[in-house]
Amino acid sequence: MNVPSRASTTGTDGTSKLRIGLLRLTDSAPIVTAHEFGFFADESVDVELVIEPSWANIADKLAFGALDAASIVPPLAFAVQLGLRGVAQSMLIPYTLSARGNTVTLTSDLAGQVPAQGGRDGLEALPALATCLREKPLTLGVVHAFSTHNLLLRHWLASAGIEAGLDVKLAVVPPSRAVEALREKQIAGFCAGAPWGEVARRAGVGYSIAGSQQIWSHAPEKAFAVRANWAEQNPDALAGALRALNRSSRFCDAPDNAAYIASLLSRRRYLNLDPHAILAALPGGVETASDCVFHRGATTFPWRSQGLWFLSQMRRWSLIDDSIDLRTLVERVYRPDIYRDALSSQGESMPVADWKVEGAHATEWSLEATPQSIAMPMDRFCDGAVFDPATLPPLGESAMQILARNRGDDVAR
Amino acid sequence: MSLKILLIDTDAGRARALEEILCESGFAQVWRVPEGAGRIAAIERIQPDVIIVDMAIPDRDALEDLRVVSSGHPIVMFAGSGDPAFAEEAIAAGVCSYNLSGVPLQDIKPIMASAIAVFRRLRQVEDELAEARALLEERRLMERAKAMLMQGRRMTEPEAYRWLQKTAMNQNRRLAEVVATFVSQHDMPADPGKAKRKQP
Repeated sequence: MNVPSRASTTGTDGTSKLRIGLLRLTDSAPIVTAHEFGFFADESVDVELVIEPSWANIADKLAFGALDAASIVPPLAFAVQLGLRGVAQSMLIPYTLSARGNTVTLTSDLAGQVPAQGGRDGLEALPALATCLREKPLTLGVVHAFSTHNLLLRHWLASAGIEAGLDVKLAVVPPSRAVEALREKQIAGFCAGAPWGEVARRAGVGYSIAGSQQIWSHAPEKAFAVRANWAEQNPDALAGALRALNRSSRFCDAPDNAAYIASLLSRRRYLNLDPHAILAALPGGVETASDCVFHRGATTFPWRSQGLWFLSQMRRWSLIDDSIDLRTLVERVYRPDIYRDALSSQGESMPVADWKVEGAHATEWSLEATPQSIAMPMDRFCDGAVFDPATLPPLGESAMQILARNRGDDVAR
Repeated sequence: MSLKILLIDTDAGRARALEEILCESGFAQVWRVPEGAGRIAAIERIQPDVIIVDMAIPDRDALEDLRVVSSGHPIVMFAGSGDPAFAEEAIAAGVCSYNLSGVPLQDIKPIMASAIAVFRRLRQVEDELAEARALLEERRLMERAKAMLMQGRRMTEPEAYRWLQKTAMNQNRRLAEVVATFVSQHDMPADPGKAKRKQP
């Protein structure tokens, strides 16, 4: 039997189907909602959603054209672009799907020794966790080497002087396995996206002591990445898809819709999980401390400075070569121009710049945008570092050196 | 050179079938590891040259980490194969492989071709089974719709059938679709999975 090539699926009417890959995560909400509510159909975009069990599948299927787009962690999109884990495939990121939503979840025993961040007694989680990690070697799980979770967790631990690989072992544990791994004490904790921290809590095997926002208060999370080939061949469909997503992002960010979205995502063909566990991390859900953000605060804009932050962290942890020109790379992949072309006629306020200084706002602030400025949430890194895209750290700097310099900066401020 | 081949599959029967084919072809060192705990330990113990893995398992992400942590740099087999059509076939069949020790492509290709064939065969059976199930479900819904019309609207069975057929024709929709909508509107509460089906 001859298997038809999956690289091109052209419909009878000449328009290409947009096949979007997703994982079983709460922040799949904007894509699932846009599909189920017919937002894509309203824009005449023919979409097929494909739920995948692993990031590896998402990356391989993008690389070989079995998927056209995906909800993806940005470091993995860069890995596909560079061919770091297989064949290279040019990717574009014209839209950001979510911010925050990850949790650091520990076994109940360990969590008992580590007060949850922002807890009533005023003690912070990180110093207590650092003490535990120095006392005995433990293993923490992350979802993929090229994940936001790996980079955020490393950054957080480094800010307390804990170096991953030296003081603590990081292992890749798929979130659907993390509950079992916690129960069997194969790992002492894990950093994963919602709803898996809540799933572990409900299973009685773990407790979340911190979320993305304790590491980077408005940490960008999933990006909508599309194969550059597909985008070039279907510019109108891509613009339509972005308009549909933007409608959906607004819908998903409204607290009133949380219960509805949770029940939609809980269906067997999507997350196939308890809707209450999903509800917890939705805007308006019960756990406001670690909820996902889908729209407010210019979340959907593909900030080049955020792409560059991910790349600089990938370089910091030797996940990419020192020889790569990060700025050129981020300009090729992160595409605010496509975002603007698609959405400027939609009454959406557009940031004036493509870059911003990350981690520079200890309080709420106002972003220059047209036609109206955008109200922005606090934006801070756990170590007080300020990431200015104009001044990248020099090549070959080790993690601990960066840590030391960040501390020096703190003293200087 | 005798290659060490490790098979990781959710389907024990399929893995056994593939092992048989590979052994018959002279690959003596084949291991099967079921989905579940101990996969990573098995890899570290066996140190296979090639891993054939079912794409339906979430553990692929953990397998990839081995490449990052180990000093040798295992690569996805598809990488540099110069044969994207072959990789596409494998992905369509739902199987992929990792080449951990730089085995030449011509040695891996027949192994992967066998895996693709075995996976495709099972996929075909699964598709046929799903199709049969869908037909059964259509039939069940039809019976249910007819019973509801017979009881609720006092129709005879042929009348009920004709009513459904006519509705489908008027709405220009498939009969099975109309039946499913009718049953879900008149029979199923909001959550069909959990709620008890009430009698009309």
